[in-house]
Amino acid sequence: MARTTTLAVLALCLLGAAIARAGALQFHVTDQRGQPVRDAVVYVDPLPGTDVATIERTSQTRYIDQRNEQFIPYLTLLRPGDRVVFRNSDTTHHHVYSFAPELSFEFMLRPGAVSTPLTVTAPGIIAAGCNIHDRMITYLVVTTARWAGKTDSQGRWTLPEVPLGRFRVRVWHPLLIPGQPAPSREIEVSDAKGPRQVTFTLKLPPEPHPGNPLEPNGY
Amino acid sequence: MSFRVRLSVFLLAILFLVQGLTWALVYHATRRASIDEGERQLVRAANTFVTQMDNVSTRIAGSVQVLSLDYPLRAAIAQRDAQTIWSALRNHGRRVGAERMLLLDLEGQVRIDTAHPPGTGEAHTPAFLPPGMLRQVYKKPVVAVVAIEQRAYWLVVVPVYAPQPIALIAAGIPIDSALLQRLAALPKSVELVASERHGPWHRVARGDPSLDIIGALQRQHLDLPREPRLMRLHGHEYVVLARSLMQSTGGMSVAALFGYSLDDALDPFRSMTSTWAALVALGLVLGAIGAWLLARGVARPLETLTEASVRIRAGDYSIAVDKALARRNDEFGRLGQAFLQMSEAISEREQRVRHQADHDALSGLFNRPAAQRRIQAMLDHPRHDRPAALLMIGLSRLDDIVNTLGHASADRMLQAAAARLHQAADGALIARAGDDRLLLWLDNCSGDQAMARASALCERLNQPLQDGQLRLDPGAIVGVSLWPEHGNDAGLLIQRSEVALYQAARIEQPVTLYDQAIDPNRPEHLELMSELNKALDGNDLVLHYQPKLALARSQISAAEGLLRWPHPIRGNIPPDRFIPLAEKTGHVRRLTRWVLTAGIAEARRWQQAGHNCRLSLNLSARDIEDRELPRRVRELLAAHHLGGEALSLEVTESAAMRQPERAIEVMRELVDLGIDIAIDDFGVGHSSLAYLRRLPARELKIDQSFVRGLADNADDRTIVRSIIELGHRLGFSVTAEGVEDRQALDFLAAAGCDMGQGYFIGRPMPPSAFAALLAGANERSRDDG
Repeated sequence: MARTTTLAVLALCLLGAAIARAGALQFHVTDQRGQPVRDAVVYVDPLPGTDVATIERTSQTRYIDQRNEQFIPYLTLLRPGDRVVFRNSDTTHHHVYSFAPELSFEFMLRPGAVSTPLTVTAPGIIAAGCNIHDRMITYLVVTTARWAGKTDSQGRWTLPEVPLGRFRVRVWHPLLIPGQPAPSREIEVSDAKGPRQVTFTLKLPPEPHPGNPLEPNGY
Repeated sequence: MSFRVRLSVFLLAILFLVQGLTWALVYHATRRASIDEGERQLVRAANTFVTQMDNVSTRIAGSVQVLSLDYPLRAAIAQRDAQTIWSALRNHGRRVGAERMLLLDLEGQVRIDTAHPPGTGEAHTPAFLPPGMLRQVYKKPVVAVVAIEQRAYWLVVVPVYAPQPIALIAAGIPIDSALLQRLAALPKSVELVASERHGPWHRVARGDPSLDIIGALQRQHLDLPREPRLMRLHGHEYVVLARSLMQSTGGMSVAALFGYSLDDALDPFRSMTSTWAALVALGLVLGAIGAWLLARGVARPLETLTEASVRIRAGDYSIAVDKALARRNDEFGRLGQAFLQMSEAISEREQRVRHQADHDALSGLFNRPAAQRRIQAMLDHPRHDRPAALLMIGLSRLDDIVNTLGHASADRMLQAAAARLHQAADGALIARAGDDRLLLWLDNCSGDQAMARASALCERLNQPLQDGQLRLDPGAIVGVSLWPEHGNDAGLLIQRSEVALYQAARIEQPVTLYDQAIDPNRPEHLELMSELNKALDGNDLVLHYQPKLALARSQISAAEGLLRWPHPIRGNIPPDRFIPLAEKTGHVRRLTRWVLTAGIAEARRWQQAGHNCRLSLNLSARDIEDRELPRRVRELLAAHHLGGEALSLEVTESAAMRQPERAIEVMRELVDLGIDIAIDDFGVGHSSLAYLRRLPARELKIDQSFVRGLADNADDRTIVRSIIELGHRLGFSVTAEGVEDRQALDFLAAAGCDMGQGYFIGRPMPPSAFAALLAGANERSRDDG
């Protein structure tokens, strides 16, 4: 739901930008095996020299549900000032926590309970998990990028309208091996004709459950 | 080397060899088994070690993983609460037995190290985890051997999720002797060695302080043995095996070295060896004794038998072999028995031979030498004083029977006669004394008794014998000699009884007593011969010459040389006494030589004196058969410068008949020298006219028996005339011997006889007398004109 909202917002923005001679950008993210990568975050920032209208945003409230011992969604894109609410739709208690310096919290949620809203203030990536269920993890990506989106199950995300100019595009995924810099690229949108394809290839470890880390066990 | 020693040495050598081989085999088998066992044990130990290490690390990994999920620790890590983290880690380390716990960031940098308390500044432990491992840790916990500050650690690294990976916890077990002690069921000789980045191996821990496997390996420039290998350490033998505990890429390698001491394994065998050696020594001693006894058991019977055969060889047949040896039930017993039987057989044979030596096979009686010995023994007996007689019984017909009926009949006759004699002898000594004669010795018997017994015996033996269809007459005659009259010696008595026997045969008197007078064999003959030798040496003999008259001219033209022996004691010994004796005893050659020498010398003197007189000398049968005679005569003639024509040699017909061919040869050679040959005593010998034809003789001498009676006997005259005619016709000149009266001489002259010789013409005279005669005759002839 949050995603749809985000998309709607972005679409509006893009529409607005489209009037000023915009182009479309289609982002496609795959891993080193050619498989589409979902939940990859794409940041698009204009490079100096490119005029982009600023937009006003209102703070949003995102809901992160817990069902079947999973956080849904896996990844949430937020802007500083947005609020996050955790809801326990599961039959078990969940001990939600995060040690992120940007937002540290922990609370126990009964089944059916709803947490108090948490406000994110600074950009960063906040990982939250459940102390009881080691496999549960969700990422709150707080970004101040001009445009940000996450890829779908096809690994695609489309930015409908960008003004002409030069932009920096960064891609991040939670499973990127820690310590490695996120791939970043400069692109140029030179004309308004058709969407422009931008493809990223990420080197990711294989995972049986998309969106869930492997359970550490034994050896 | 004697048999005993050889046998003993052989047995001992065999024993020693077998024992030695067995020991060697057992040793090697045991050693091999020990090595195999060692290898197995090593492999087991290595596997156990690795398994135990695995178990330890598994346990630690499990507990560290649980630790990594501890919420307060995670909170402390996220909040970088160093103090809390340090104490939590240390506490946990103690729980799990990991001496050193570290907290690493995701880049591998060490944030917390329980070896360095916090608050002393940042932990300065350098990063030690290779980048590869940093990536692998998210798949499963990393177990690695790393070096932290030059110490080797068995490390387990686990990521901390909160909920994304925020740090790594590492639990380290130092690899040192304490670790080895914690692990149970390890062989004492185990070493842990480590090498960094494929550098040289160095030891980190060992179970037995005295052992240095890695050092030895490095000294011998050997790699770590991945398979069990036999090698020497500190002079002892070990089986060594290495197992890698961890092979980390680009990091530290740790291996465990296991050693299995062969010496320890072979220890029980060694103690057995000394027992074994003692047994071998005992066995050798027993074996030596046994071998010696066995050899003795073999050698002793052999020695006994050897001694016995030496005795038998010397003729001693007394208990040849120890009866005990012969009674044994084995090979030696059989040998002993065979030996006994053999010695008995030899003894028997020897007796038989002795018997045969003393006895005649055909008759079974004593033979002549045996009888002689026995008689002599009786005579030698000091108490023998009664007269005794020896009867020699001849079977005169035996020769005829052999020639007419054959030896078989003759043998049977002899056997029958012997049997009869045996019956008649009544226990007295009897023997077979010759081919056709038997002997009977009558001890204690007078001469008359002996003669009477002899007659009775003759009667008995002369009973005809029946041989098949024929009746044979043995013709028994007996010659008797008496003791002590006829001699003191058994041989002499036998000889004289034989003389009596010959006499008996000659005069056909069945029983004849020995008479010295008729015995041609006299002891004095021996004397005579030695005197003859002396005479020859001393030139005592003399040659007398009898003139031969050439009847036609009435001239002495020749002479016959006759040997005379003027013996100082016996007087003149007539030639017919000693010449036949000389012939029989082989002295005649010397005699002939003397005669030839003397005669030729004398003939030479006649020649020098101007007389033309031919000398005739007599030759015996031996002389005419002597091939050397012509040469000797030639040499003598040459020595005396006499021509052969001055010599004539006379030989009797009988003498020339003995070996006719040889006689003819010799005569021919003599004739070649110019010598004339004359046939002496013609008409009374074995006159063979056929033979006469072949002889190269010139002269025939008519025997005097025909010539003496010429005056009275008409037959003699006929014969003489015929001989003269015959001789002339055959080319001989004829000489008549024995001219003793005028009538004979006239007759002979009228009959045409060439020469005459006799007492009427001239007696044999000494050389001086004959020389005078010749001289006178020559004068007369000269006078006569």
